[in-house]
Order: sequence, then structure tokens, then C-alpha cells
Amino acid sequence: MEVDRELVEAAQAGDRWALEELVRRTHRSVYTCALRLVGNPDDAADVTQDVYLRVVRKLGGFRHEASFSTWLNRVTTNVAMSTLKRRTRRFAVEGAAVPADTRDPAPEPAERAEAVALARRLEALVAELPEGQRQVLVLRDVYGQSTEEVANAMGLTPGAVKVRLFRARERLKATLEATEGAQVVAMTGRRRATGRRS
Amino acid sequence: MTTCHAIRPLLPARADELTLSEVRIRADHVAACTRCAAEAAAYTRLGQALSAMAGLEVDPADGTLERILVAIGRRTVVTGPRVLAAAGASGALVATVVVARAVHHRRQTRRPVRRRPGVGRLRLRLPNLPVPTPALARAK
Repeated sequence: MEVDRELVEAAQAGDRWALEELVRRTHRSVYTCALRLVGNPDDAADVTQDVYLRVVRKLGGFRHEASFSTWLNRVTTNVAMSTLKRRTRRFAVEGAAVPADTRDPAPEPAERAEAVALARRLEALVAELPEGQRQVLVLRDVYGQSTEEVANAMGLTPGAVKVRLFRARERLKATLEATEGAQVVAMTGRRRATGRRS
Repeated sequence: MTTCHAIRPLLPARADELTLSEVRIRADHVAACTRCAAEAAAYTRLGQALSAMAGLEVDPADGTLERILVAIGRRTVVTGPRVLAAAGASGALVATVVVARAVHHRRQTRRPVRRRPGVGRLRLRLPNLPVPTPALARAK
């Protein structure tokens, strides 16, 4: 999610078109972050709307010290966390939508392409993590917030964040290895079956 | 050399989550232990994939964008400086009218009602009995 500084400044100056364009360009990213944090599409849509209502209120105070996307991610995190405090999780994400890569189609090294392919598969696995583990993992490892920032957003100590992170990463790696192992076994089985037929 | 069991909690951590000595201990162990090296590599791969997730986006349900635009449109209309000034002035006018009408209505209802003789609140009338005085008591 890249946003021009000029567009943000125009929105800050009260340009209605600029504000709407800002929403158009960023709403998918905000929705995705909200969905990863709150865990269900309805709440994620509500959080997304609340994020922009807060953005309208606070945009004047944005000083461009961090990038707009970083600031927007923080707003999303805060709104999502307050929403979670108010509501209990209604249902788990089942069959989360397969995300599309919206980054610039610039030439990427093979490692990056592999990471993106793996990231698509990870989306569903991350959604299955316990809520507390999922949230710290998303904020720290997906959105790159510091341990202290995550602790502040979630009302935890940095030590508690580290414990949850450790468990989440360990669990995710184990699940990933299990699914990859199952896929390898399935592929080997299919090859053997086709081999026998021929 | 540190044991694999002691290194295990350090393997999933990112370098910036460890102290310098922990980073050194992990690096030394991983350089000598193929099993832990494979684990560390798997965590690195996982970390790269997780950070790549930030660039993946899920499309919200149809109508979400429109709903947001309507909501912020309402908010910006309400919070625009001119609109706020106009709303404040008209609000003050309405409040003045409402208060004035309420005061007027209250005065109307509090105006004293002339009562017809014999109509009105009941008063207990006591007969004029002689007040007992010390002299009367003595005569008894």
C-alpha cells in the first residue's frame, strides 16, 4: 500500500476527492489487517469503517513523521483492539479468502517469489491460530511492529508478547511442515498411482 | 558447546529480539549442528513468508467501500468548519426558542387562579372552646 504524500496533504487540507481517493487506495489493506486481527469478515468491515472515521478526525494531526501506511496500520491496530475488547469473537475465520498480491509487479528474486507463494498458503494457517497468538504474530511478523508497540496495543508486557510469539511461530512452523509433508505424501501417492496405471 | 535443548527457545526469535550474547550462542551452535541449522532455516523462511503477507490483500465484501465513503462523507459534512459554525448558530437559535417557550409556558401555568368562595381547599374549622386557665382549673 503506497500512498503519495501529496494526496495525504490534499486530504489534510480538506480536499474531499483526495480523501475519497485515499480511502479507495488503502481500504483493502486496512480491511485485510483488520480481518487478520479480529478474525471475522463482518467485524473486519466494521473496524475498517471505524478506522476511516477516526482517520477523518485525526488526519489533521498527522505530521508525516512516519509513513502514512505505518500510521494507518497503527490506527487499524488500535481500532481493532478496542473492537475486540468490546465484542467477543463470534466465529472463527473459515476458508479465509485467498489473497491477491497487490505489490508492484517489479522483477523479484526467486526467494521473494517463494515467500509470496508461501505467504498465500500461510494466510489460512495464521487464521487458525489461537486469537492471542494470532494477533501478536500478525502485528510483529506481518506488519513489523516492535515488541513494545505490540505490547502497548494489546495491553501486555513485552515478556508476554515474546512468549506468545514463540508459541505462535513454533505452532505455525509445525502446522506448515505437517501440511507440506501431507502434500508431498499425496503427490508421491498420485505419482505412484499414475505409474502403476501406465 | 550449548545443547540443542538450550538453543531451542532461541531458534524462532528474530535477531533483534535476542541479546548480543544470545545471538552469538545461537550462531555458534547452528554452525556446528545440522539439525538446529535446518530448524533455524525453516524459521527464517517462515519469517520471510510472514513479512510477505503484508503485501497480500483480501477484497472486502461488495458495498464495503461505498459504505465507508458514505460514512466519512457524512462525517466530513458534519465536521467542516463552515458547517460547524452554521450548525452552532442554528443550534443556539433553536435552543433559545425552546427555552423561551418553556419559560412562557411555565409562567402561564403558574398564574394564580381566583377561587370562588366555598370552593377550594378544605380547612378544618375548630369550635371556639374556652382556653383552660389556672383560675378555671382552681374553681373545678
